[in-house]
Amino acid sequence: MAYAYLFKYIIIGDTGVGKSCLLLQFTDKRFQPVHDLTIGVEFGARMITIDGKQIKLQIWDTAGQESFRSITRSYYRGAAGALLVYDITRRDTFNHLTTWLEDARQHSNSNMVIMLIGNKSDLESRREVKKEEGEAFAREHGLIFMETSAKTASNVEEAFINTAKEIYEKIQEGVFDINNEANGIKIGPQHPTTNSTLSGSQGGQQPGGGCC
Amino acid sequence: MDPRCRRTMLTRVKSAVANFMGGMMAGGSNGDHPGGSDLPLKFPYSRPEFLGLSPDEIECSADHIARPILILKETKRLPWSTGYAEVINAGKSTLNEDQACCEVLVVKRRPAGTDGSEDLTLHYWALFDGHAGSGAAVVASRLLHHHIALHLQEVMEILCTPNLLPPTSSLRGAAGAPGSPSTPPTRFFTEKKVSHESLVIGAIENAFKDMDVQIEKEKAVYNISGGCTALVAVYLLGKLYVGNAGDSRAIIIRAGEVIPMSAEFTPESERQRLQFLAYMQPHLLGNEFTHLEFPRRVQRKEVGKKMLYRDFTMSGWAYKTIEEDDLKFPLIYGEGKKARVLATIGVTRGLGDHNLKVHDSNIYIKPFLSCCPEVRAYPLGQCEHGANDVLVLGTDGLWDVLSNQEVAEAVTCFLSNCDPDDQHRYTMAAQDLVMRARGVLKDRGWRISNDRLGSGDDISVYIIPLMYGNKQN
Ligand SMILES: Nc1nc2c(ncn2[C@@H]2O[C@H](COP(=O)(O)OP(=O)(O)O)[C@@H](O)[C@H]2O)c(=O)[nH]1
Ligand SMILES: [Mg+2]
Repeated sequence: MAYAYLFKYIIIGDTGVGKSCLLLQFTDKRFQPVHDLTIGVEFGARMITIDGKQIKLQIWDTAGQESFRSITRSYYRGAAGALLVYDITRRDTFNHLTTWLEDARQHSNSNMVIMLIGNKSDLESRREVKKEEGEAFAREHGLIFMETSAKTASNVEEAFINTAKEIYEKIQEGVFDINNEANGIKIGPQHPTTNSTLSGSQGGQQPGGGCC
Repeated sequence: MDPRCRRTMLTRVKSAVANFMGGMMAGGSNGDHPGGSDLPLKFPYSRPEFLGLSPDEIECSADHIARPILILKETKRLPWSTGYAEVINAGKSTLNEDQACCEVLVVKRRPAGTDGSEDLTLHYWALFDGHAGSGAAVVASRLLHHHIALHLQEVMEILCTPNLLPPTSSLRGAAGAPGSPSTPPTRFFTEKKVSHESLVIGAIENAFKDMDVQIEKEKAVYNISGGCTALVAVYLLGKLYVGNAGDSRAIIIRAGEVIPMSAEFTPESERQRLQFLAYMQPHLLGNEFTHLEFPRRVQRKEVGKKMLYRDFTMSGWAYKTIEEDDLKFPLIYGEGKKARVLATIGVTRGLGDHNLKVHDSNIYIKPFLSCCPEVRAYPLGQCEHGANDVLVLGTDGLWDVLSNQEVAEAVTCFLSNCDPDDQHRYTMAAQDLVMRARGVLKDRGWRISNDRLGSGDDISVYIIPLMYGNKQN
């Protein structure tokens, strides 16, 4: 299907926090309680609409185990967005965020949008990490933040779409060089290559460059 | 013979498998379309069937920036818990030109027997490394095993009768009643004794030939681009057979020791065969190449002087007086990975490539390429194998950067750190191996251990545990 842009995402975080379930809920709108351990990389894709434009999200779901860390690290490159996930019922997964963030910052492009996700919000009774703690961590490190439940689908759409909106805004501001695929953004096949012919713009700035 | 005549002639040959694979040769062929781009594809480009990837996943797999290592999904299983992993190149071609196929085939007695007691079960693993397009590799990955099964079917009655030596003539028909191999024809004492093993080897060899002929013929009706190497492993009746045409490689790792199961066919390893062919049929060189090898290009001012050379009869070197003819470009030129036949191709065996010509000329490469595999047999059932004893099949992307010894050490080390009950351990070992060969993208390109250059090529790897061969049969 034709799209205006393609954004590449990567989902990271400790094993068992619900990365694969979040992806499945977003792409297939279903929850699969028993999900096999991800031992490599798995892919998902879905079309969304932002600002009247079709945007294809290409999502890479990674293995969280320490033994696969060097492989996972090599997938940050060329991602426009990252969902950094922890489990609100397991404090250790929250404590490991700093390591994940360091990894992500070191191996990705500097403009990558990072969304912090506290998952399993349906398990209120077993909560170990307060929502405020998540918010504070996000504020401190300049991330967007949401609590989600891959089980009830609460906020799952929003998490993926808000990340895309942020990327889209950065494109409008000219922050991303959209001609460089290493930024995790591809222009769709039908997209006009010169700014002047862009239709349906809402008065926002057009992507910079356009020399070729 | 002019190569083009040869081509047209082969196009007219009716293949034994013409009706077998369906869709082909409906009506007469209307000649070859050299460009072929206006013709339909026989099979669309894809990744190996057993990976079960959706179009979206295939799109993700072709990411040249992050180069994701694809492995078997948790829900998919290959026979013998075989592990598999692959990665795309660093940008040399848009698509991954490696292909793979893994099947368990049951070869039925013909005509169909009443009970299944004499069915032959055939385990098959294959890797194909395409060049100049993905077409030939895709077609071969879909069809080669059918050709192997077909050839085995022809001799399966003999194969299923272990104490009967293959009769020298007439399987069925003339001598003896059809399907009754119990009455062996009279033997002459000068007859060569042929083993069952060599019947299987012959079946694999002829299957490669038929596959190549089929690709050539179907080029008349389909767009089948480029050519490919082929490396196959076949397990049949307690033995493992490895057939190789090209520069992929197979090794067995047994108790940490390496047993090579194939040898690469390259311009350098096949120099004498290629030189001999050119010597016998000089027209194949189109008056532009010399079949002699010199340590470097000969310069005009050196005519009349002496220089080192070697001919098809030599593995050593000698001096000759340079003549005008020696100024032509050498048939084989370059060293190592850069060695080329007719300045065009770096691999000398494989399938396809029927349209490949020397740039800007009418000189065909195909006569110098051979589709014939070298087949080695390994008595799997007669050896004891532990959980870490494996057959590793890899395309050149792996072996270009890792030695047999390095691969053996990496695999043995990885497997011995795995939970022996983990179903995924061979897949994870394959992923680990591909990671070691691909490396990590640094400022100065893909790097592996000791800051060596990683492989920028497509890389595909099977890790096949051998202990399952102990138990069967
Ligand atoms: N209650 C609840 N369980 C979840 C949720 N998301 C994932 N899980 C469970 O957490 C476990 C790990 O999920 P998975 O997606 O495989 O985690 P991953 O290792 O991060 O990919 C599974 O047993 C899921 O059923 C959620 O939002 N709520
Ligand atoms: Mg997972």
